[in-house]
Amino acid sequence: MATVALIEAVNMALAYELEHDATVLLLGEDIGANGGVFRTTAGLQERFGAHRVMDTPLAESMIAGLTIGMSTQGLKPVAEIQFLGFIYSALDQIITQAARMRNRTRGRLSCPMVIRAPFGGGIHAPEHHSESTEALFAHIPGIKVVIPSNPSRAYGLMLAAIRDPDPVIFLEPKRVYRLVKHEVEDNGEAYPLETCFIDREGTDITLVSWGAMMHETLQAAEKLAQEGIHAEVIDVACVSPIDMPTILESVEKTGRLLIVQEAPKSGAIGSEIAAEVAEKAIMSLLAPIGRVSGYDAVMPYYKLEKIYMPSVEKVVAKAKELMEYV
Amino acid sequence: MKTFKLPDLGEGLPDAEIVNWLVKEGDTIEIDQPMVEMETAKAVVEVPSPFKGVVSKLHGKTGDVIFTGAPLIDIDDGSGTSTAPVTTPIQQPAKTADITNTTTSTTAAAAQIFKLPDLGEGLPDAEIVNWLIKEGDIVKIDQPMVEMETAKAVVEVPCPQNGVIGTLHGQPGDVIKTGAPLVTFAGTLSGLESAPETQAAEPTKSDAATVVGAVEVGNTITTESVSAIAGSNLKATPVIKALARKLKVDLSQIQPTGADNSITQADVRAAASQGQTKTDIVAQKPATSSGTSNPLNFKASPAVRALAGRLGVDLAYCQASGKKGSITRDDVKNATHKPSAVSNIQQSTISATTVSNQGTQSRLPSIQVTPKAIRGARRAMAAAMSLSHSCVVPVTLMDDVDISSWPKGTDATARMLRAIAYASRIVPELNGWFDGENMEVLHHPEVHVGVAVDTPAGLYVPVIKNAESRTGADLRAELNDKMERITHKAIKPDELTGATISLSNYGTIAGRYGTPVVVPPQIAILGTGRYRDELKLTDTGIGKARMLPLSLSFDHRACTGGEGARFLAALMVDLKLAK
Repeated sequence: MATVALIEAVNMALAYELEHDATVLLLGEDIGANGGVFRTTAGLQERFGAHRVMDTPLAESMIAGLTIGMSTQGLKPVAEIQFLGFIYSALDQIITQAARMRNRTRGRLSCPMVIRAPFGGGIHAPEHHSESTEALFAHIPGIKVVIPSNPSRAYGLMLAAIRDPDPVIFLEPKRVYRLVKHEVEDNGEAYPLETCFIDREGTDITLVSWGAMMHETLQAAEKLAQEGIHAEVIDVACVSPIDMPTILESVEKTGRLLIVQEAPKSGAIGSEIAAEVAEKAIMSLLAPIGRVSGYDAVMPYYKLEKIYMPSVEKVVAKAKELMEYV
Repeated sequence: MKTFKLPDLGEGLPDAEIVNWLVKEGDTIEIDQPMVEMETAKAVVEVPSPFKGVVSKLHGKTGDVIFTGAPLIDIDDGSGTSTAPVTTPIQQPAKTADITNTTTSTTAAAAQIFKLPDLGEGLPDAEIVNWLIKEGDIVKIDQPMVEMETAKAVVEVPCPQNGVIGTLHGQPGDVIKTGAPLVTFAGTLSGLESAPETQAAEPTKSDAATVVGAVEVGNTITTESVSAIAGSNLKATPVIKALARKLKVDLSQIQPTGADNSITQADVRAAASQGQTKTDIVAQKPATSSGTSNPLNFKASPAVRALAGRLGVDLAYCQASGKKGSITRDDVKNATHKPSAVSNIQQSTISATTVSNQGTQSRLPSIQVTPKAIRGARRAMAAAMSLSHSCVVPVTLMDDVDISSWPKGTDATARMLRAIAYASRIVPELNGWFDGENMEVLHHPEVHVGVAVDTPAGLYVPVIKNAESRTGADLRAELNDKMERITHKAIKPDELTGATISLSNYGTIAGRYGTPVVVPPQIAILGTGRYRDELKLTDTGIGKARMLPLSLSFDHRACTGGEGARFLAALMVDLKLAK
């Protein structure tokens, strides 16, 4: 069993599908000869050839259009957008074509495609490189948005994303690309999509997060446990559509909900989860729903990055505040 | 002869591709003259010549990828033909000439100047944040030399070659223009520098770097958490549990086939496809304690919970008349009319305070309980009970009376009032007033029965006068009228005084026998409990009997036990009658 970081797990999953499914191919800027700016696709072009792992011009709209065209005609393309912050010129293609192809053609055509993009802050990168705009995509019906938080999930969810018959936006939390390693068996076993994962079971408060913030959230849960507060920690993993039954069941058990997200606070995934819980489980709430998030401001340059992003301390403090409602 | 090796053109990039040579072998070039266009992961960069001389060899052609640190160009600067010269370096940049002229232990030749490469995307300059090396240091290829701050980020600039640092061209805070000298090498160490070694090291070096920023690298090996499965001794990872939830499979019923008795995805899918072990959704809900201490046992909106908190009402005592079994604000308000609902929570919050005061790990914040003055009916009750406790010597006799013969719809309270009137006529010693101080007793010729009425405001005891001479319907009408006026606080004080004996019919709520408290100067009080059906042995066999429990308390100072028992017997005689 290989011991791999998240980035290597993505590579492993891509390689597995390239090897086992002749219709799978990769495309993107610098992903071939260079192996990707983060080396996510390192070695894949050498192994599978330039016709399966293709370098594209620096033109995101074209990458998206190409991917959509391929996917409607029997291929399963996996495109890389070098950073999520570069995807906006491709949004038109994604929203007006990919998301609605199945509906428009009454099911005759679909887009079994994946668009991968590293996202999130914390690596001291310049502008456009650090934002978390997953909610943009979650708002669009017809596409799924998947965010793995650890190497095992990156492997299992990437396989699931490629095999899904509809478009999947696969966002890779680059801050934790190489942070921890998991033993991952390269057995081609996909994880279920549209499912939350309960990473820690508890009775006092439900902490919900996804992506890189899962690492802070789990650390916060550990600190809370030392103070006798038993937090249940849920990794949303698929932020659209969200597996609300799992979250609701947890909140009904604990009576308290704290959402941790790196993205700006307003109009975000956390807002949606809060609204759903208010609609369906308000009778079980013992405290207001809490959110620890980024700010409603442009992601700052690296010096203020740490201030902008939720920290373990912020999560612990907010959780304790919610515990004061008895 | 100088060999120029490819410096890092970006931020830790491992290599670059030759796009176009701007010089050819045999050309004479000047310092800083562009030699070649190289393409990195992000940009095409012109590489300037660090030396003046004649180009003797180009190490690669257009399209070739050159590793950082590998030879790019040989320039004959007149210092020798093929090997590195030991002496007479000439035409070096003036600034470094003195160093190179006095080379000692190093076998290296002339100084080489490393110029600040473009650290980002066409940025004109960068500021020195911090030197990580100092002059005279022996450095290795890729070793971080300096932290530079660009308009966008702080970037570590790695060393392009093995060698000895001669001069650092600037202090922290200095702004260096792209292409300007950053570091001058005093020379290269032959022992350190070895082209094959450099080349061999290249592929294995950790390549966590990126075009922008710095990705934190950790070597911690973690695993997916595993947690116990309720109802079995198995454990499962989050993904197995998630899949089971999704497919509605009861994990505790699965025979694991994975290594170390672990459940696999295949196990779960197999169980689901066989349609077995589908769990009842309700059964899967987390078991909550059935006690009233868990607030999640009650469905209530935060606003309702807040109201209950303000009013000191325990949700356990509230009806749940709202949607989907939820407690409404009216339910909470109604519960305030039940003394038990309020007192209970006050008790529990006081105990919570006590616990946290003892410094235990209670997470409940301590609550300040402010005592409030007891007024009105409750104050009167407290005073009467204290008086009773301090002087009355109570005895309580208990028995059951068979009321099976009562026709359906019989007004129990009216019958009890009539029975008291009857018993008082048979045994007058219990109906009246007793004065222990003056040792006087008054056996009253009339029967004025005080009837205990439970209200939200407290205990009221309206007096039904002359029960001995009135019909049941008449008594009932008067009682209803008084209860109505108590609700509206319209009862007059004289309607609450003058009782010669009392009745407490707590059986309408719960309780079989009790020890009713005699309120001086009265002598006796009858308590009636909840009736029940009982098997009864009769002459003809086993039959059913409806039994009404009676508890008669009397002040033993005022009457004998025999009188009390006879009074009870008389009550039973009258109550047993069908009408």
